[in-house]
Amino acid sequence: MKRTQSIDLSSMRKSPKYFAFKPLAIAVAAGTLLGCSDDSQEEQVYRTVNDCISDNPDQTEQCEIAYKQAIEESVKSGPKYSSMAACIADFGENNCNGYSNQSNQSFFMPFMAGYVVSSLLDNRRYRSAPLYTSYSRSSPAYGKWSSTDGNLFGSANSKKVRFGSNDFKPKPIVRRTMSRGGFGSTIAAKSRFGGKSSRSSWGG
Amino acid sequence: MFRSIISERPHWRDSAREFGFTYHTMYGEAYWDESAYYQFNLQQIENDIEAPTEELHQMCLSVVDKVVNDQQLMERFQIPQTHWDYIRTSWMNKESSLYSRMDLAYGGSGHAKLYENNADTPTSLYETGFWQWLWLQDQVNAGKLHRKSDQFNSLQEKLVNRFSQMRLEHPGETLYFSCCKDTDEDRGTVQYLEDCAVAAGIDCKFIYIEDVGLSADDCFTDLDNLKISWMFKLYPWEFMLREEYSEAITQSGTSWLEPPWKAIMSNKALMPMLWKLFPNHPNLLASYFEEDLKNSQLTHYVKKPIFAREGANISIVIDGEERYSSDGPYGDEGFIYQAYSPLPAFGDNFTLIGSWLVNDKAAGISVREDKNRITQDLSRYMPHIIL
Repeated sequence: MKRTQSIDLSSMRKSPKYFAFKPLAIAVAAGTLLGCSDDSQEEQVYRTVNDCISDNPDQTEQCEIAYKQAIEESVKSGPKYSSMAACIADFGENNCNGYSNQSNQSFFMPFMAGYVVSSLLDNRRYRSAPLYTSYSRSSPAYGKWSSTDGNLFGSANSKKVRFGSNDFKPKPIVRRTMSRGGFGSTIAAKSRFGGKSSRSSWGG
Repeated sequence: MFRSIISERPHWRDSAREFGFTYHTMYGEAYWDESAYYQFNLQQIENDIEAPTEELHQMCLSVVDKVVNDQQLMERFQIPQTHWDYIRTSWMNKESSLYSRMDLAYGGSGHAKLYENNADTPTSLYETGFWQWLWLQDQVNAGKLHRKSDQFNSLQEKLVNRFSQMRLEHPGETLYFSCCKDTDEDRGTVQYLEDCAVAAGIDCKFIYIEDVGLSADDCFTDLDNLKISWMFKLYPWEFMLREEYSEAITQSGTSWLEPPWKAIMSNKALMPMLWKLFPNHPNLLASYFEEDLKNSQLTHYVKKPIFAREGANISIVIDGEERYSSDGPYGDEGFIYQAYSPLPAFGDNFTLIGSWLVNDKAAGISVREDKNRITQDLSRYMPHIIL
């Protein structure tokens, strides 16, 4: 045979998917069994490495690695502001610091207030994430734990947060886009040729 | 090899809508035409198309190897000097390529002749890999074609396998698919490739090429301001290397499909270089650069722009007289001259074979027909069988 053996036609269909009716009984049963789909569980929060070590005296190294990972993630994807005032408005006085990147642009970030360490710690998998808190009364994060993307996790007095596996995932770095449209100018020029109102392929 | 009339599948237009084949009719003319099909025998496919395609491909790769190491040739190929190193490095690093399509003149006997190599942005992929495959399936099931009918078309299978390999080279990375705005055909082609990549387990996103952004730290960005680290672009290198973001390409760290070295392989200057390296090869047509034309004794030839798409700006010269020509916006970068070897005619139709490669392996064919001697973007796509 000189052709593709088989193609899953259902995966190739592009028309809107038809409504798939689910019998009520099954839907109810699924609801009672699973509840709201959520894999989050209670995880430990530490304010400092020493907090972690005093709770886990035989896991000094794990505590340090988890802290280091959280710091790295906070540098990469923590909240960034273009002015100190904007940072203070969200996170409070004496809770923000100025930084500058390689291209000498300055920005402001809140200090990491703690880090959450996965209870999987004893499985030798060091999942951790930075946490922030706000001292500004007008901020939604006031007195609460906040993750890098602004999700709130209850009182900052608590040493426990409910974290799901998505909360532990490293966040992609958001860039500062300076311009758009630097590709595509050639076709804009070429497509004027012939006065076609719509275009066919620019491939070949 | 012959052309047979066959009745159309009664509901194929509904089926096209269901599968999202939106460009089967363009400018009020049929593009997909299933009122007839081409029939090949297995020897014609294997000896005359499949084997020469893979051999020609290896020959093209050796041209690339020569050109990247030769500044004069880089100039001849109209590669901007600012990107010589970038392209050479991409070749030296053996950056992965996905696919290409060679256009062959072949009428069922003798040697297939290479017209050109669409190695950077080939289209008519969906029609080939999926739609004509479905046509064969339907027509065999309807009893209109012999049940032993086969097709030279392992394109979809090979694309999915190729993407599976690439996924291992890019663990956890998102592959961005892009093409220009306002073309259903290109959007459809890119969507098909995305479907193949998803089937291979790759995380995919789409962005129009015009929407790509550039960040303060020299990354290309999507509309969410996230870095584009891996990108398929249905947009030719020869354009990208001359546009506003051309300088940013080298700093961006983006991996491209097709890779930068395809700028050489998709270039029409490839044809005279092939003839220089492999003179009188049975699957090649004598081809020359402008300055070599006088000493070539070529009397019947085709003049093609170094950069052009879909048969634009081509003229056919016979005994010094221009007999046919197509217009278009190309030709500023010079021309090449190729011995005139007319397309085979089947009735009133001139027929061109597109021979596909994925991962250096021949992967199937597409057949296109035109009432004109120069196949252009409005030529019709015809299905084929092997029996």
